[in-house]
Amino acid sequence: MKLLVVNTLSEQNEAARAAIRELKGMVSDCKVIHTYEMQLKPCVGCNACWLKTPGVCSIQDGYEEILKGYIEYDATVFLAGTALNFVDYRMKNVIDRILPLVTMYIHIVDGQCRHVPRYDRKYQFGLLYFGIADGDYLNQWMDRVALNMGGSSLGAFPIHQAKEVLSCIL
Amino acid sequence: MHLVIISGATRPRGRSNTAKIIDAFQKGYKEGGNTVEVWYLSDRKQWAGAAAAFAEQENILIALPLYVENIPGSLLEFLSCLSPKKEAGTRLAFLIQGGFPEGSQSRCCERYLETLPGQLGCEYGGTLIKGDMFGLGMTDEKSRKKMLEPFVEMGRYFADHGIFDKEKAYSFAAPEYMPKSQVRLFRLIGHFVQRIFMGRLAKQMGCKEALDAKPYEC
Repeated sequence: MKLLVVNTLSEQNEAARAAIRELKGMVSDCKVIHTYEMQLKPCVGCNACWLKTPGVCSIQDGYEEILKGYIEYDATVFLAGTALNFVDYRMKNVIDRILPLVTMYIHIVDGQCRHVPRYDRKYQFGLLYFGIADGDYLNQWMDRVALNMGGSSLGAFPIHQAKEVLSCIL
Repeated sequence: MHLVIISGATRPRGRSNTAKIIDAFQKGYKEGGNTVEVWYLSDRKQWAGAAAAFAEQENILIALPLYVENIPGSLLEFLSCLSPKKEAGTRLAFLIQGGFPEGSQSRCCERYLETLPGQLGCEYGGTLIKGDMFGLGMTDEKSRKKMLEPFVEMGRYFADHGIFDKEKAYSFAAPEYMPKSQVRLFRLIGHFVQRIFMGRLAKQMGCKEALDAKPYEC
């Protein structure tokens, strides 16, 4: 199994390092992208990734490598800090920039509009969070994020439970 | 009464649907002699002023576009920088606008917003949700006015009540799910209509690729 880890925590964070070690030990191929020093910018809602350069974000700050990773790898696990009982803004910015994976076109699923996925992929997204947050809510949020991308959630877990995030697919 | 409105939109004010909604909302709110100040977080130079207004004032509304099931990352960054209030008495309400028409699209975000004021030492003043706002900035003046009129009315309501009552907000957000009749219609003609509509938009933006292009296909 090929696993992408997107680490939005500092590379020096001991909990992140331990989680990455654990995840690497569970899969045959693991790529880690550290975003803390990348200073990824927030999505500016320009719609270019849908209507001007379809599938390509207009902000050139290194996020493209992550976009390619979502497509190339079987599953993605995000490592995130927390703030205000939720993920922190660094993680939210990473998720907000995920929109190039879907097209502007819409279809209706279970009475709700959804963007038509751009690629024929069943994304699997998991979240490991470091700090205090509402775990139940993060699970609901990850379910919705994955649903919007036409994929499924691997769940949200405290970072010391790294094994759990892959337990349902290994 | 004085109201502080903080716009959590990421687009510059001139291109922001949230800003257009704020303009309509404050029009209704000010009718009875109330006053409003608005801060736009898309302009980082306004962050310090917005933070000061949050600290000093007790009647605050945060307006935002729905971004991947929750508030935009930049708004979260701003809120994370605030010092929670130590004195009781501040009410914090929210207005979410989204592109998809169904109110249910914003319920995940609403659940979070119900708990957020407590994190900031504030009371929760309710959440107003409205979808189908994607075309607000693209439509003609007459249609835009029609789309914005309900926000003028809700501005009046908020001035009178000071909160968004849950039942009132629920009916304002309708439809909760796409009605079956509209689903059937969408399945009949939606595919063609959106290809034409979005194709035009893409052409205006100078797009040279198919909208379902796969630039990173392995």
